[in-house]
Order: sequence, then structure tokens, then C-alpha cells
Amino acid sequence: MNILESIIQALQSIKANTLRTVLTLLSISIGIFAIIGAGTAVSTLEGSFNTQLVAMGQNTFMIKRTPSVNFGNSWRKYRNRKDITYQQAKDFKYQMEGISLVSLHNETDGYTAKRNNFFTDPVVTLIGADENFFVVKNFVIETGRAFGMSEVSSSAPVVIIGNDLVVQLFNGENPIGQFITLKTQQFQVIGTLKSQGSMFGRSLDAQAVIPLTVFSRYHSDEWTSSVEITTKAYSKEQLAEAVDESIGVMRSLRNLKPWEDNTFEVETNESVSSQFASFSNYLQVFGLGSGLISLLAAGVGIMNIMLVSVKERTKEIGIRKAIGAKRKWILFQFIIEAITLCQLGGLIGIFFGVLAGQGLGALINTEAAIPVNWVIFSIVICTLMGLAFGSYPAWKAASLDPIEALRYE
Amino acid sequence: MSTPLIHIEHIARTYEMGGETVHALRDVSLDIHSNEYVALMGPSGSGKSTLMNILGCLDTPSLGVYTFKGLDVNEMTDDDLAEIRNKEIGFVFQTFNLLPRATALKNIELPLIYSGISSQIRKERAIKALEDVGLGDRMLHRPNELSGGQRQRVAIARALVTEPSIILADEPTGNLDTKTGIEIMKLFQDLWSKGNTVILVTHEEDIARHARRIIRIRDGKVESDTINPNPVTSFEIP
Repeated sequence: MNILESIIQALQSIKANTLRTVLTLLSISIGIFAIIGAGTAVSTLEGSFNTQLVAMGQNTFMIKRTPSVNFGNSWRKYRNRKDITYQQAKDFKYQMEGISLVSLHNETDGYTAKRNNFFTDPVVTLIGADENFFVVKNFVIETGRAFGMSEVSSSAPVVIIGNDLVVQLFNGENPIGQFITLKTQQFQVIGTLKSQGSMFGRSLDAQAVIPLTVFSRYHSDEWTSSVEITTKAYSKEQLAEAVDESIGVMRSLRNLKPWEDNTFEVETNESVSSQFASFSNYLQVFGLGSGLISLLAAGVGIMNIMLVSVKERTKEIGIRKAIGAKRKWILFQFIIEAITLCQLGGLIGIFFGVLAGQGLGALINTEAAIPVNWVIFSIVICTLMGLAFGSYPAWKAASLDPIEALRYE
Repeated sequence: MSTPLIHIEHIARTYEMGGETVHALRDVSLDIHSNEYVALMGPSGSGKSTLMNILGCLDTPSLGVYTFKGLDVNEMTDDDLAEIRNKEIGFVFQTFNLLPRATALKNIELPLIYSGISSQIRKERAIKALEDVGLGDRMLHRPNELSGGQRQRVAIARALVTEPSIILADEPTGNLDTKTGIEIMKLFQDLWSKGNTVILVTHEEDIARHARRIIRIRDGKVESDTINPNPVTSFEIP
């Protein structure tokens, strides 16, 4: 019969018992919120992540001590791995010559750059790099120039600075040729980097790049962290070959026996996104799991509220039956009512879930995606919940004896 | 005489209550024809309510034959009975039994919704029915915004809107003051004179005297079934 009529009826009975209904709806909202919130978070992170991956370049892969995205308890496996030493990295670069372009770099956070009375806030990421770094890592020079091989080997105190430093230290002046202080050492600015925006809420422009040789001396006597090796194959076709070759070279440099596992990670765009995918799957499964548990509890609440509603409206059901409502009308009316209840709770959950996702997006400075498939999923779930948990009360209503029901006060 | 509208033959109705068998109706036979005005009388516990439920197809007899317009009611499913109630029987109850949250118009539309009539025609017919009982200006009022007499008029309009074969009224004036009661009885008189079949269920002699035929029930049986020699025809308000 008339769906609209039943929905209006449902909304009226919600209005008649606002508090009771709202409390029940809340648990549905929480469940849907968890599902949508996780969905939005994942879509948002994925969107941001993929944009950055594309920027990194198709033919590039990295060799690192530990994976860049790591979720779960597998960190134990990586904890005892030896650093990739500068010597190993240099040997690697030498042996890979002609196969692909290799860049070595290392970085550390927490530096404050100073110039006269200006200083940076927040702090700067200091990158020590070789001459291939800018090409391999797609760091585009905006003004000035990059440093070359001779400056790396002679440990020249030169620096290429990101846009944040230009803004914070130079205030409109031309930075090229000027000096800045990092820790206690003075560096001459020879170039500036093109602005890269931000990733996961962190500015990518608060960076200063100095020669790796300077970095090693300047940072500490010993290498305290591992050198990262980035390799760029000359073409897409050569990527697989370059990856294989570099694994072989690295294994021999690290003296691995044939039966031993790699003690380093090779990360291509693809492998990083699959690591990320497993992370986002965890998040999604967690959201879905906690959401579904909450929805189960909500379903019991819905059934309860519907049973109470049937009880309270026994007389009404009697009247409807007396004037000729068949079983299916009564069944239909109460099922529609249960579905309406669930949908209402679901819509509230979707609204706040998407809102939370947008909030997260704003926090990490990316545009939040609305997870359309999860929204549709939620609507479907709410409909199924209404059906599942409304059926028994509706059946009970439809099975009432009209005489008994009419007599009920 | 033509085929009776209602034909019941030796019907009995028993209930199981707490392991005991209650004989609400023992052996009742009667025929009711089209355009009769019948009062069903009896003290409480006599079985008249059970008889009314059976006549109204809310209940079916345990034994005996009940044919409604030649159709065997005993053979019917719950949904068949619902359809008979919807199309053939107009109920008027002592406590009006309107849906409290629905307007007068919506209440009257309800049986038409269940018979699957389109909303346009439904509305037209409901408005007409409401005008016929003199409440054309109360269409959008809810039951709690109407007086007792007005509520009963809405209930009568609801009973009439499907153009049923029988109006079945259970103590229709029981909750009304005398003056309003007389107005309602006049309405039944008018319906009857327009060709409707009316069955009144009551324990009040004053009300029963309006009917043309009086059937008295006692202890689950028909005690008497007589033509009323002096039906009330004046509706002077005392």
C-alpha cells in the first residue's frame, strides 16, 4: 500500500516517543558513524597518498632498512636490521652505474634555520643528498641551481632551501647568495625548491638540502641512521630488471647467504601502495567490525522498541483489522516503520561520519572524499536491519486477533 | 422473499479458557435480509457480543453454517474475512475507535486505502461521507478536537464510505449523552430509510425500540425474535 503513508505514520510515532526513539537511533548512528568515518578516513588518506605517489615518479624505487608504511606487530622483524652504511650505499651506487640512476640521501628532523633575527618555526627537515637527488626525487629547482658532484665530494657548505624557509627567513629578499645558519654552521643558499604543498598535514616545503658529505660530518661522527637509496630506472621497461639487479647487488654488499632473507626493503610505487592498502584495510575492517557490533546492539534495541510500539498500538491494530486491513498491510506498515527508524538513525550516522571525515581532511590539509560506496552500503545495511529486526514485531502485530486487539485498552 | 443477506443455521461458539470450555453461543439460527433494521438485545454474558463478532466476520463459529450473501464464511481465511469486513460491513463502536493521530478525513479514508482505491477518488468519497453526516467543516480536525457526537458521526461516515451491505453498530450511543444519542439514532433511521441494512447491538430498551425487528439473546440462544409493533419514529429532544 501507501509507502508514504507508512513513513509518515512512522515519523509520527517517533515524535510521540521522542526520547525513547532517539536513544535507540543513537546506537544505529554510532554504528553507521564508525563505518562511514573509517570509510571517509581511508578514502581521504588514499586520495592524498596516491597524489603523492604519482608525484614520486613511475620508474623510481627505494632501498631502505625498514618499510615506510608498517602496520601490525611486524616491527620486531625489522628492529635488529643493520643500518645501510654510507660505504655500502656508495658501493651500491658505483655498482649500479649504467643500469640506473642512484641517489643517496639521509634526513633528520628538528632543525631550526636562522638568518639574522629570523628563524624558522616550525622546524626544518634537513636532507643530506648527493648530486642525483634532485633528478631522482623530482625536487624541482625554482631559482638558482642544484649542487653538483664536485660540491658533494668537496663538502661545500651550500644549501638549497624550500619555500617555507624563503618566506620565513628572507621576507621578500632574494635568497640566492645569502647565508643561513643551520645548527652552528653557515651555509650559502644557491637555490630554492619549487613549492610542493603538503602531505598528511605536513608541509613539504620546510626542507633544506645540503650535500650528503656535509650532512655526515655535521650531523654526527657516526651514521646514526640508515642511508636511503633511491633508484630511478632509465625507462619503465627497465624497472623490473633494475629492481632485480639492485637486490642482487645489495645482498652481496650485505654479505647475505643464499638462504637468508633480505635485510632491506625494496619499495616500488606499487609495493608502497600495497603496504598502504593493507594499512587502510585494517582501518576499514576495524571500522566495519566495530560498526557492525554496534548495529547488532542497535538491532536488538529496534526490535525492542517495535515490540513496545506494537503493544502500545494494539487497539489501533484492532481498529485497522476491523475495518478490513489484511495481514500484509499490517506487516508492511510495521516493517516500513522499522526501516524508517533505521534509516533515520543511519542518516544521522552518515552525516556525522562524513563530517568527521571532512574534519580529518581539513586537519591533514587534503580534500576529504565522501565514500559513496560506503554510504550506499550503510543505506542497504539500515534497510536490511529494519527488515531483520522489524519482521518479528510486525509479524506479531499482523497475527493479533482483531477481537482481542479491539478490546485492549 | 429474496436470498437473505445473512443466513446462520445452528451456530455455536465455544472458547477454551483456563482449561474450561465456555459456551458463548449454543444454538442460534437466523436470517437477516437486505434493508432490515434489527436490534440485537441481551444482558451482558448473553452471547450477543459473540454473535455480533460472528455476524461482523471478526470471528467464525465453532459449529454450524454462516453464509454471507451466499458465501460460506466458515471456509474463509483471515484475509478473506478482512476483505468482507472491508467491503461489506460498516462497524460503529461504542468507543468510536477512531485513530487518535489521524484527522477525521484520514480516518474515513482508511478503509478505502485498504480496498486499494486511488487517492483522488478516496479523498472525494471521504469528503462526501463526512458531508453526509454533517461534518463537512470538521475535515481536518483530530478526534480529540471533536465532541463525542461528532466523533461518532465520523465513525459512522467511516462505516458508510465503502458502501457496505450492513451497518453493524455496537452500543453506538453508550458513550453519548441522551440528546446526542437521539441525534445519532436519527442518523441510523435516515440510513435505514435510504435502503441500508442496520443491525444495532444494545442492552438498552430505549435504543432497541428504534429497530423494526428485535432479537433477544439469553444464555447463548435466541430467546425471542419479534417484529417491533411500535418503532420510535419521532426524534423530539426531551
